[in-house]
Amino acid sequence: MIPELGHAALIVALQLALLQGFFGLAGAWRDNPGWMAMARGASVGQLLCVLVGFLALAWSFVVNDFSVMNVADHSSRHLPLQYRVTATWGSHEGSFLLWTLLLSGWTVAVAWQGRQLPADLHARVMGILGLLAFFFLAYLLFTSNPFMRLHPPPANGSDLNPLLQDPGMVLHPPLLYMGYVGFSVAFAFAIAALISGRLDAAWARWARPWTLMAWTFLTLGIMIGSWWAYYELGWGGWWFWDPSENASLMPWLAGTALLHSLMATEQRNALRVWTVLLALLAFSLSLIGTFLVRSGVLSSVHAFALDPLRGLFILVFLCILIGSSLILFAKRAGSIKSAAQLHMVSRESALLTGNVLLLAALATVMLGTLYPLILDAFGGGKISVGPPYFNAVFVPMMVPVLLLLGLAPRMRWGEASLPDVLKQIRWQAVAAVAIGLALPLAFGDWRWQAALGLALAAWVILSTVTGLLARRLASGGLPLSAWGMGTAHVGLAVGLIGMGLVSAYQSEKTVAMKAGDIAQLGAYEFMYQGAQEVPGPNYSAMRGTLELKKSGQTVGTLLPEKRIYVRSKMTMTEAAIRYGFSGDVYVAMGEPLPDGVWSMQLYLKPFVGWLWGGALLMAAGGVLAAMGARRKDNKV
Amino acid sequence: MNLWIAIGVLILLALACVLLPLLRKRKALGETTAATRWSAAGVLGMLPAVTIGLYMYLGAPGILTEQALTQAQTSYDVDGMVKALEGKLKATPNDPEGWYALGRAYIAYQRYDDAEEALRKATIQAPKDARIIAQYAEAIALKQGNLSGRPMELIQTALDISYEETKALELAGLDAFQREKWAEALHYWRRLVKLLPKDTDHHDAIAQAVATAERKLDLSLGGSGMPAPPPPPQKPKLAPH
Repeated sequence: MIPELGHAALIVALQLALLQGFFGLAGAWRDNPGWMAMARGASVGQLLCVLVGFLALAWSFVVNDFSVMNVADHSSRHLPLQYRVTATWGSHEGSFLLWTLLLSGWTVAVAWQGRQLPADLHARVMGILGLLAFFFLAYLLFTSNPFMRLHPPPANGSDLNPLLQDPGMVLHPPLLYMGYVGFSVAFAFAIAALISGRLDAAWARWARPWTLMAWTFLTLGIMIGSWWAYYELGWGGWWFWDPSENASLMPWLAGTALLHSLMATEQRNALRVWTVLLALLAFSLSLIGTFLVRSGVLSSVHAFALDPLRGLFILVFLCILIGSSLILFAKRAGSIKSAAQLHMVSRESALLTGNVLLLAALATVMLGTLYPLILDAFGGGKISVGPPYFNAVFVPMMVPVLLLLGLAPRMRWGEASLPDVLKQIRWQAVAAVAIGLALPLAFGDWRWQAALGLALAAWVILSTVTGLLARRLASGGLPLSAWGMGTAHVGLAVGLIGMGLVSAYQSEKTVAMKAGDIAQLGAYEFMYQGAQEVPGPNYSAMRGTLELKKSGQTVGTLLPEKRIYVRSKMTMTEAAIRYGFSGDVYVAMGEPLPDGVWSMQLYLKPFVGWLWGGALLMAAGGVLAAMGARRKDNKV
Repeated sequence: MNLWIAIGVLILLALACVLLPLLRKRKALGETTAATRWSAAGVLGMLPAVTIGLYMYLGAPGILTEQALTQAQTSYDVDGMVKALEGKLKATPNDPEGWYALGRAYIAYQRYDDAEEALRKATIQAPKDARIIAQYAEAIALKQGNLSGRPMELIQTALDISYEETKALELAGLDAFQREKWAEALHYWRRLVKLLPKDTDHHDAIAQAVATAERKLDLSLGGSGMPAPPPPPQKPKLAPH
């Protein structure tokens, strides 16, 4: 009965979403306060109903109700409880249900927080969010229904993909989706502002905290995804330029551009058209990202063609959404052109330049991601665009962005003097170059990747910290948003140090080891003590034991595993990682060789943890900035 | 039924969410337009109708009864069945098959007094049914702990009616075995083995009993004898105290 109730709840939610969309937009159009109130009420009801649906699906997973097809396909009796819970969003259907749930949550938050907004703008935002939810619920119910039933039910399910049986999976999709869905609020604000023609500084002030929160979630989601790939995929990489990663990077780049542009609009009423365009872009890219990852089009264009309904549904929706918002944009953009004049040297123009560079980088990522798909779709054969392309194209674009990042916060709004700014930061620039040139020598081997990473990081950190210090001295205090900016920028620099050093100095070795063998890598000795079979709840593992020694002293024991999952027969590599401040020691079991010999992959990853530490700092900066923006919002 | 009540609650909740803010607004503003009233009425009509219609189209409301049926078939509730049968026989006591089934159920619960009573009624109502008479004999034997006396009389009656009554053959063989009349036991059981379907537990148990009886007979006739004492024949609960 529970799954059927969940199904009915989604059907009720679908109608509530439609009512919210209709009464929100029509209420604003006809200036009918009753209808506007109904739209807000509908959003609350919708959240309740989607929550009932989500909990019903989770319940079906927890109690192993294999009469629900989704449960039969993505769980099994032997799956541990925590993964039965997370399997709720491990499938295509479940992840869209999660999307919808988060969208409803954001919507109710807007309904709650938006009381200080002008009534018509608020109602329009609610209406647009309602229509978005209507689409997702219709998509769920008619093409990806999580409550399809099987009768008679199978005795056992076919288990969850072993890749997803991991703590990282608990957090990665919800955080990522919180980010994606959060951009829908900025999108709804932009459309509402376009409809009402009231695209001013106030609009930017309302939209900015939401955008910052969405960006923070997306940053965390990408960070956890990267960390998960690092420890779960077994070859110690942290970014593969894989299309599904790129799908999350693209909205992140657009979102980063958006939140900087919103600042210029809020402070100076500048770049208004540009800001609106970015808001449309960030959310459209979120949808495209979801479409790419979830329609199966990435694994193969032909897989998509086998079940075209789902993909087609999203594709049509994307066309309608992007098309209609661009038409609206084209009609209204003329009337919302910024009054403020843009000077060549000013913070606005620096932000704009940075934005354009970010978008150019985004375009290269998009090209590398979509080109193989398009080629394949037109029968051009399968090609894969990998790291060589992205490293050659993306990285050079980011260098000027980082240079600007140290420069822009020093510039004044309106008009700045370039010689002044350069004079302020000349010592920081010299110090950064010196650090970049000298510090790599400390690693015993001068490498350009390390030099570049360290120099840029030093530049960002020095200019940011000295800039904030100067501001504090001048005005006696720093607003929260300045702390947020500082933390996020320093976080980016910390991540940069990690990227530079790990790509320059990581070392690896593949060795065949039998019990008693010792392998040497860097300053470490790995003494292999043998492998034994250990049972898991739904897998059986061979677990190797390696004693880790550094200059003769035992510093730890590493226990890498090779698992075979019972139901799916999939083999998984569980790497053993010794995390450290200045780098990780990483061991993965390769293949078994005759006579009890195993091939082992040993890696040293200097400063790799700084990558994720930096991302965490960036997210913390996002939270601080959002709090600062909210505070200002309340004051006005 | 419960599902429809739950869906009803869900619809009421949804209606409350949409319409209560409107009522509050009306209190605050004092008046509503005709458009607002009509839209409220529309919502009131639409939500239940569309929900039920879409659910009938997309959902699987029938699966609950199907599941209930399957469950009843696979793991029926014996207690409930016995109670239901007792009630049914109270209302329509003239039902030898019913009394027979109830008697067997009582035997399964080791309620031998009740079993004897139920099967007695069954034999009165169907005095020519060898199967029921043999079952009645077993109930009495289980109650008194052995087959001698009344049970054997009944078994003989059953065999007189039909010499292919499996329960009667089994019990007659057992009686002979207990009296160490090996050849007699073999007579009944060999006949029984031929009647039972192969590859069933019952068939195998009787075949084993036949083998045991054959060894005993061999020994008693001064043959080579077989090592190891044989396992007791089936139905150990009927072994003499």
